[in-house]
Amino acid sequence: MRGYLKALIIILFCLAILIPFASEAPDGLERVVEALGIEEHEPTWKGLMPDYTLPTIDNPYISTILAGTFGVLLVLGVAFVVGMAITKPNKQ
Amino acid sequence: MIGNTIVLKGVTEDFVMHIPDGFLSPAICALMYAIAIGFLVWSWRKVRVTYPRSLAPLLAVSSAFVFAAQMINFPIAYGTSGHLVGGTFLSVLLGPYAAILSMTIVLMMQALFFADGGVFTFGANVFNMAVIAGLSFFLVKLLTKNSKRSSWLFSSIFIASWLSVVLGALACGLQIGFSPVFSDAGGVAVTVPAMLFWHALIGLGEATITTTLVSQLHRLQPMLLNGLAILRGRQGERIP
Repeated sequence: MRGYLKALIIILFCLAILIPFASEAPDGLERVVEALGIEEHEPTWKGLMPDYTLPTIDNPYISTILAGTFGVLLVLGVAFVVGMAITKPNKQ
Repeated sequence: MIGNTIVLKGVTEDFVMHIPDGFLSPAICALMYAIAIGFLVWSWRKVRVTYPRSLAPLLAVSSAFVFAAQMINFPIAYGTSGHLVGGTFLSVLLGPYAAILSMTIVLMMQALFFADGGVFTFGANVFNMAVIAGLSFFLVKLLTKNSKRSSWLFSSIFIASWLSVVLGALACGLQIGFSPVFSDAGGVAVTVPAMLFWHALIGLGEATITTTLVSQLHRLQPMLLNGLAILRGRQGERIP
């Protein structure tokens, strides 16, 4: 269990370091859509943190870090619950 | 501050293959939902009969890792970027069935909380990224059938992770190409080659990162690679 905690801390640490270096260029699908001249619609469902930012925080780095950390912990929690639900209890 | 904003655009305008709502026709959305749900039920049943409880923390941490990794776009070429999808990595770590579920959880949270990938297009996104990437496990299995050498294993993982991105892009190209939004632009004859071209390049990034991650884990924590244990017929023994 301590190993998993260590892994989680490394993940969040790497995220914090790498976010400022993330490429700003359009990615694969975006590039194709752009080249074809198709407009992206306003999303039907905007989510709580559209585009990985907290709307209330101005600093983009802090905003993205907080949204990212929230997302990591959210995925961690949901995946753990699903994992507990779908696996057999240990026969001991 | 302005520089910071430009840099962060990489994170904020991010949908390598995450199809937003409005791009796919309702019929294609429904079809992809049906196919995705079929695969999810299949994976769910497979996981239920094979995995011990101790899978849960590994599933949690590796899903969290993939979520974080998908936020970091790396530059590819000609002003285009990509990010790790991570499905092949998950399949080597968790086995194909748990990998499909893990990736689906990541995609669901992205769609629900971050508007990354649409709600109606969720089925298509699950198929393109979770199902295809999870199934790439069987390509690794096929390629390594007669070999126990780790160099060949890593080469197979390189090939499988590259192909998982390219096939996902092919599926995505077909889905958007057959949707009316793209018919004026030329339909599948345009979308498929364009998606394949960019993702053949993006796939090289995926393959390099996946192979590096797996080879490092193989060196440092070989016990964690449950997918490999399944590959070698020692199912369910290695989950720590």
